[in-house]
Amino acid sequence: MLYRVIDADELPALVEAFMRDYEVIASVRSGKSFAFETVHSFDEIVLDYPTTLTSLKKYLLPPRETLFEYDMEDGVTDYVLQVRPRVLFGAHACDINAMNNLDLVFDDKRYPDPYYEAHRRATMIVGIGCIPSDSCFCHLLDSGEVRSGYDLFLADIGGRYLVSIGSVEGANILEAACNPREATDADRRAFREYTRRRQQAFNPDIPSVQEIPMLMDAFHSDDFWEELGSRCLNCTACASVCPTCYCFDICDVLDPNAQTGRRERVWDACTSPQFALVTGGHNFRSGTRERVRHRMYHKLNGFNSKYGRYLCVGCGRCVHACKTDISPIKVLEFFERKGAEDAE
Amino acid sequence: MSETTNIPRVVVIGLASCFGCQINITNIESHLMEVLGQIDVRYWQLTSSDTMPDEFDVAVIEGAATTKEALETLASVRERAKVVITIGACAATAGIPGMAAPEWQDRINDVYGDNTPAIVSDIACKPQAVHDVIKVDYEVPCCPIDPYAFVHVLQKALYGSNEYSRTSTMCGECKRNERGCFYGRGILCMGMITKQGCGARCPNLGRPCNGCAGLSPDANLDAARVVVQHSGVPLKRFNDALAMFNQDDPRIAL
Repeated sequence: MLYRVIDADELPALVEAFMRDYEVIASVRSGKSFAFETVHSFDEIVLDYPTTLTSLKKYLLPPRETLFEYDMEDGVTDYVLQVRPRVLFGAHACDINAMNNLDLVFDDKRYPDPYYEAHRRATMIVGIGCIPSDSCFCHLLDSGEVRSGYDLFLADIGGRYLVSIGSVEGANILEAACNPREATDADRRAFREYTRRRQQAFNPDIPSVQEIPMLMDAFHSDDFWEELGSRCLNCTACASVCPTCYCFDICDVLDPNAQTGRRERVWDACTSPQFALVTGGHNFRSGTRERVRHRMYHKLNGFNSKYGRYLCVGCGRCVHACKTDISPIKVLEFFERKGAEDAE
Repeated sequence: MSETTNIPRVVVIGLASCFGCQINITNIESHLMEVLGQIDVRYWQLTSSDTMPDEFDVAVIEGAATTKEALETLASVRERAKVVITIGACAATAGIPGMAAPEWQDRINDVYGDNTPAIVSDIACKPQAVHDVIKVDYEVPCCPIDPYAFVHVLQKALYGSNEYSRTSTMCGECKRNERGCFYGRGILCMGMITKQGCGARCPNLGRPCNGCAGLSPDANLDAARVVVQHSGVPLKRFNDALAMFNQDDPRIAL
């Protein structure tokens, strides 16, 4: 991995360089929280945000996306790919890992998704190191660090940034906008200090559990799922804020003239009551117990068996979004309780 | 549809309501003529004094049934219409008229005392949602309706659709709008038990949801009441708010 160092006061120039050719997306203050939005100046950006209400997923998989337009007489009239060249500036490691997970699904070599691919190809990612907040558990799900999937990754090492270079395009823009220098031993020591500080900031109350996928299988029928599911409001807020919930529905939307329309892809959620409803009327997951359990299974077990990594990246957004306190943290706590009981 | 033409004949009927949903249909403005071009409006009290015809294909009904005459109208409409669409919260949940439903006869006494005019007892009935009186094929929810939602449902009835109806509640849509939660600020919001579909429009405009789309069939009232209590909103306010749009729903009984 190639590292360079830039001074903190060079950052505005870097952002401005991106702004020349890209729409720059970054974290801004939004009410009591933070949101990823288009920014027009460096001053709007909050670099040390704890987390955002929703994720960067919306830029690769829009909540509502037109796939094509049609006419009742002429059939499909326009195959639409609305892509804007963007840079996602200041993504945390968990969120870059989340986009890497989405890549595994949509950028699949055998079944590539042309819409996703087009967004992804037009998107640059500049990561930024973060200090975890109380609801963060990325480190427990192998997403605390990120090794690929970004163009640049910035770590604040005190008045300067250690920049990890992930792509030629990223390096070129960095070279052009700033005066990057070689990292010195003092920089490396400062980086080690930063890493230590970050590690120590993780909430120690969230239990670290080994062999989570296996435990998911072992406790598949436990009463815990009934208890957890009984609290579900069926609101699907979890999936809306999740950076890795990628399920979608496709439907045709007719214009008021009844002559033209659009085929749209819209976000769906496995916690939606109709998600597993099939033709003939059978619902494979008709209760909240089954739906909540299924969601946790995909995050902590199912995705692993296909792709070898957790789908959940421990970003903690659902911890805040779920009003009834359903989150992977509750599953980890359950496994810890079970482990303690078994040890007795 | 019609024997002689392929254009579906539509009647629009107003029961107990403010007629705001019917008026809102005209708010599609630039698209109004396009929509009217797809149907043959045979009766619409709001726009013409022509009387209701005997034959039609689609009946659009706003309002709750509050009179015996309304019950008869609904029965005869159901007999004749191939498709019945209700518009608005009053038709779908009994809405505002429905707030008088519990002990509705006592309310007549409250107003008239011992001098209840004969005509009142002759015509009044318990306020009811249209689907509690006759089978309804499609409901356009909310108070008032989104006129585009009406066009969408009308077209669904006329041409079919590959869309299925969702019963999830509203917070998922609200989060898509990237809105923080009212409960974090101790403000009552009915979104977590109200049917999704409007796009969480009021919260997106900075106002809490008042539940006008009605309770979702999958609303989890027990869990929602725990949320209300934990957030410091008095439970009575939540229960009172539930009563506004859900009088026909046995689940609101405490």
